[in-house]
Amino acid sequence: MPPGLRVNAVAFISAQNHPIIVRTFSAQDETTIKYHYIAHTSLDVIEERVNAAGGKSTDCYLGLLYAMEDVAVYGYITPLKVKIVLALALSDSVVRDVEINMIFKALHMAYYSSISNPFLTHNDDSVDGSRTLTVGSTKWKNFRRRIDEIARVVGNPTSTSIGGG
Amino acid sequence: MAKKSVLVSYAGLPSFLLSSNWDQFKQTLLAQLPLRNIHWKSASRTSIRTIQELDVSLVPLDSIRDELTSQVPTSILEKPLLNLYIVTCENADLEAYRTTIKKQVKEWHATVSNRKNQEWMILHVVRPDAKTPSGTFFQLKGSVLDKLKADFNTDKRDRCMQLIWTTNPSMWGEFITKLKDGMLVAFEAAVAQREEEVKRSESQRQMPGWNFCTFFILKESLASSFEGVTLSDEALLQYDELEASFYQALKEKNLSWFGTLISPTSKDDSSPLLSISKKPYRDLILANTITVFDFRIYLLTRQCELLAQSGRTTEVCKKTSAFLGAFGRRLREVEKDLPRFFLQSWIYSSALSVVEQCDSWTSGLSDVQLAVLNAGKGELLELARNQLDLIGMNLGFLPQKPPFSNVWVPISTETKSTAKISNPQLLKALDSQDAFYEVYINTTNHAIDLYAKAGRRKFALKLHGSLAALDLHRGQLDVALTTYNSLPAHYAPHMWTSLESSMLQRALETHAALGKPKDREWIHILLSFLSTYASSSGADMLMKEDEKIAYISGLIDALKVSASELESDLPHPDHPAISTQVSSSATLAETRDGMYLDATVYNSLPCSLPIDEISVILTGRDSERQRFSIAVESLNPGTSQIRMFSPVSNAGTFLLESSEIRMSRLLFHWTHRRTSTPKVSRAGRTSGVLVRIPRDLQAFDVQLRQPPRVQFGQSPSMIVAVSTGRNEVSKAILKLSTSSVTFDCQDTSLHTDGSAEVEFTPDSIILSNLPRNHVVELLVPHSDVSVFNAMKVPIEVEYVTTAEISMTRVLRLSRIISTALPISVNVEDFFRGKQLFSKFTVSTLSHQHVRIASAVLEPPRIDDNKVRVVTSCSQKRSTATVTPSQPANFLFQIKSDGPVRDPLTLNIKYRMLREEVEFVIDMAIDEVLDTHPEWHAHRTQLHAKLIEMLESDASWVEIYSISGELDVPGSIVAPGELHEPIEKTKKILQSHQHPRSPQGPWHEISIPVDVPSMTSTYLYAGQPISALLSIHTTFHWGSHADDKQRQYSIQYDVEEMVKEWLVSGKKRGSFSAMDDTTFTVPITLVALHHGEFTLPRVVVSALPLQNELTMGSMSIPSTETYQVHGAEKVLILPRGGRSTFVLGMGST
Repeated sequence: MPPGLRVNAVAFISAQNHPIIVRTFSAQDETTIKYHYIAHTSLDVIEERVNAAGGKSTDCYLGLLYAMEDVAVYGYITPLKVKIVLALALSDSVVRDVEINMIFKALHMAYYSSISNPFLTHNDDSVDGSRTLTVGSTKWKNFRRRIDEIARVVGNPTSTSIGGG
Repeated sequence: MAKKSVLVSYAGLPSFLLSSNWDQFKQTLLAQLPLRNIHWKSASRTSIRTIQELDVSLVPLDSIRDELTSQVPTSILEKPLLNLYIVTCENADLEAYRTTIKKQVKEWHATVSNRKNQEWMILHVVRPDAKTPSGTFFQLKGSVLDKLKADFNTDKRDRCMQLIWTTNPSMWGEFITKLKDGMLVAFEAAVAQREEEVKRSESQRQMPGWNFCTFFILKESLASSFEGVTLSDEALLQYDELEASFYQALKEKNLSWFGTLISPTSKDDSSPLLSISKKPYRDLILANTITVFDFRIYLLTRQCELLAQSGRTTEVCKKTSAFLGAFGRRLREVEKDLPRFFLQSWIYSSALSVVEQCDSWTSGLSDVQLAVLNAGKGELLELARNQLDLIGMNLGFLPQKPPFSNVWVPISTETKSTAKISNPQLLKALDSQDAFYEVYINTTNHAIDLYAKAGRRKFALKLHGSLAALDLHRGQLDVALTTYNSLPAHYAPHMWTSLESSMLQRALETHAALGKPKDREWIHILLSFLSTYASSSGADMLMKEDEKIAYISGLIDALKVSASELESDLPHPDHPAISTQVSSSATLAETRDGMYLDATVYNSLPCSLPIDEISVILTGRDSERQRFSIAVESLNPGTSQIRMFSPVSNAGTFLLESSEIRMSRLLFHWTHRRTSTPKVSRAGRTSGVLVRIPRDLQAFDVQLRQPPRVQFGQSPSMIVAVSTGRNEVSKAILKLSTSSVTFDCQDTSLHTDGSAEVEFTPDSIILSNLPRNHVVELLVPHSDVSVFNAMKVPIEVEYVTTAEISMTRVLRLSRIISTALPISVNVEDFFRGKQLFSKFTVSTLSHQHVRIASAVLEPPRIDDNKVRVVTSCSQKRSTATVTPSQPANFLFQIKSDGPVRDPLTLNIKYRMLREEVEFVIDMAIDEVLDTHPEWHAHRTQLHAKLIEMLESDASWVEIYSISGELDVPGSIVAPGELHEPIEKTKKILQSHQHPRSPQGPWHEISIPVDVPSMTSTYLYAGQPISALLSIHTTFHWGSHADDKQRQYSIQYDVEEMVKEWLVSGKKRGSFSAMDDTTFTVPITLVALHHGEFTLPRVVVSALPLQNELTMGSMSIPSTETYQVHGAEKVLILPRGGRSTFVLGMGST
């Protein structure tokens, strides 16, 4: 894991393109909306990629979606079409896809173990529009902690290796 | 840059080369070029690379000097790949060959074959018009070609060939193939050698003295070689490896081979990015003085050119935008040394120039590729736009807040450099705010346009939002508001509440800034905003917690104010900020009419909500509605328990229909009843919330029942019983209405005695000052309902109690009253001389037992003929019971002096067994209550309980009907306080005996009975009709004159038409007929059913003559018969009842 990989934000988006969680790690509060925008716009690019692959691709990792000023945005789509968007601070060095993929795998695992909790339902497929559990819900506390931990480990790779969530 | 052709040198006899023949030959040769479809199979590469098209330059050998003077490695194509020697003598001209040509060729061969990585080839050109010696076969010396081969072509490779010089391309085929082969061999060797050199150089990387720039030039020569043979991908690979190598150097922080990071020149920031002609990059690299800035641009440009060459223009955008972002970031480290806005200007100009460059490269892309390209260009333009954001914020043209500050990086304003940026567009924008905005809007619109073409809707939305923000900042509020109002809808469907709420928040701010009145539109925006807040629990609002609360409560206060200023009610459906849950059953108020319903209201806003009233509506059967409400000042955040009151009560199970919260004119409305769409119906989702409401036995109530006396032939009426229960009612207005029946309220009369103050108007009945526990019974006439068995009467009562004089309760009830009678009466009449016996059969129409106290046939009131009726029933006979299997018969004898025209009246007093038992119970209860007045409150419950106990078991019925003992089955355990009264009452009921004379209320039914009259005009079905059968015979037309004195034996037969007639009497017989006589026989006819049919047919035939034989057989006299009434039909009228007749079958 090279130094200088800094995770600015992680977004999980449901199969129906509803935001599940948008977690930002930047100091400034007002930049939060920026990452909401990034997560939202990424959906366009993810859609392009998925369509380009013609639905045949079995690879979850979608690679660099786009770079915008100071962030590089990477995408990942789980087999169940949950999208994970990772916003990394843009740096003038080579970022290897393998490393990014590893971060995604860890994030995917974190999500997976969180939704395995039978008491945590996020009503994703609700037909009557009942609300999705978002960041605000306390039920996602563990999930958020896992994401934070991954972000921390990515930024500071010497401490421990990334756990499986 | 590198030439897209390979060199081929030529040589030949000087005399030939100078001749015009050579020029001709050269032209013909060039016409065969360029070479096509060259397949290069390299040993070091896994797959065959195909060169589609390759130009070949023919140069004279002398022009090529051995340029080993330069140490700089150049493309391997700088030197010829193939050397050609052209021999032009006759094929058989061995003499010429030996004397001159061989020497020349030998000289040339010596030069050429020593050259590294170059191939040679000798071409023997033969003129087609040259005389071909006929005897070549015998020329043992061989041809020139053979000689050439023998002399020079020593190895396996065939380097000598003959060409017959024509313009026919097929003749050239072999030559071209040989040319390709030769070149490829040389190319392969050259590449292999160069790759070896590169590899060696790379391996010396860690050694002192190794120079990245030298290495770069060496490796680049390989790349340009590949490019020269149009193998762009191969060339690109070299550059990509170089880039990786550069990053490696960067990582090792070893950039000593370069100059400074950047030494900006005046045009650096505005010149097109992808142009290698703008600076002598290669020289700078060779001199080791190139700046990293220039080096990176050079590398990028080469890569992009190659990408474009191989048709991968779409990747150019991606690569450049990543580069601009990444390298721009690096440059920021030295921003202080750069002119102000140099960096922004560079990125801006570069991005725009790349977009232009891409346009010039683009051709023949598919739709999909075009979309990708547009997306890439859009990204570049957005990048350029972001630079404008930075500049704008720095200059103060734009506010330093989102969305502009999304790209915020501090720009150091203090720069050491005094130089200025050079982009004219930006320079203009720096000076003038308007120019800046114009550039900003143009760039943004261009980006939006490209995103739209690329199908990136969400990117376009984001940019639209930023344009709105600009409008907002510039004070163009109307435009901003329109945009902000339209944007949330795009974010809503995917529940991006954060963005939606941000847009709505801006819309609110804009609205406020506009100073527009806070009207309906504003309220709608605000409510949408609050709903996004509620659906995300405020987490997505991107605001600090305390600010959030203050902000929201400020909005709520404003909402309250504007809601009260509305002119009419503004309903708002299904707002998610508040949710209501009601308990599953209501509780009775006990002390007054009405009931309470508990509910939990959850307010998910962070502040309390000032409201006026909360209400819910429950619906029951027949659209019965029950409205509960409570006036509430404010609704605190979180959960609040409320208890709503409904002043009237209808018992039963109700469905939660809707709930409402009123804030002045603003009406929040939730519909809880799911309109179930079959597609999404899931178990448990579609079913609504049920609320059970217990019956309030002490409440004001209205019941309907049949009047005790029903008279047929008069307008029907019903009894409306108004019971006040616990209330002292000061005024009650009663309205009855149903679509099928009209009520004649005006003709209502009081049924019970008592001095109730009643007023009747055409459509309502007004009762005043009713004391508590009082029942007023009203007899209301209504229109005929005999077509129905029962009718449903909706009743609406408004009543005011003296206890709560200010509250008008509106009770809506729906009562069902049976209009059918439980009994039916049939009559049979028997005429016996002057006496008429009428038998009335009374049977029950239901399964219930009916008790009949008496049945009396009354003569008409105005009696001219002194009708006397004698009943068969003895006065002693007590109550009769009619069961479904056992009807009761009542027989009357009627005598009269003359015809009876007026109907008699049959009066039956009856009641259902149930009514009788209820009466008995009431009596018993009264008896108990007399001794224990303290139980008075339980009276109704006691009654209900006992009935319930009786209903549970029917075993008491038999004993009761015989003796009157009412043995209440005690299987039901009564609640504590009722226990003793029930026991007491049961005891009394057990000792109950049927009274001698019937007691209690009875129903009375009066049926007018017409006395049947016997007239000949009417024939009734089932009625015996006396008839005479007359047969008239005449022999007038007989053959003999003396026939008139003769007698014939005639037989007659009344045909039985078994469907219509029963015939009694002598219906078959014989008589002796004489001329002009009539035979008469009486018969009785009984019509079997009503209708119109002919009389029975009569067949008449003559019997054979006794004494006469004709031709050996008995002779039969011929007869003709006609029936006088044969064509006539008689009308038989229907008649009720059943008749049994004994028929005489007659005799022959």
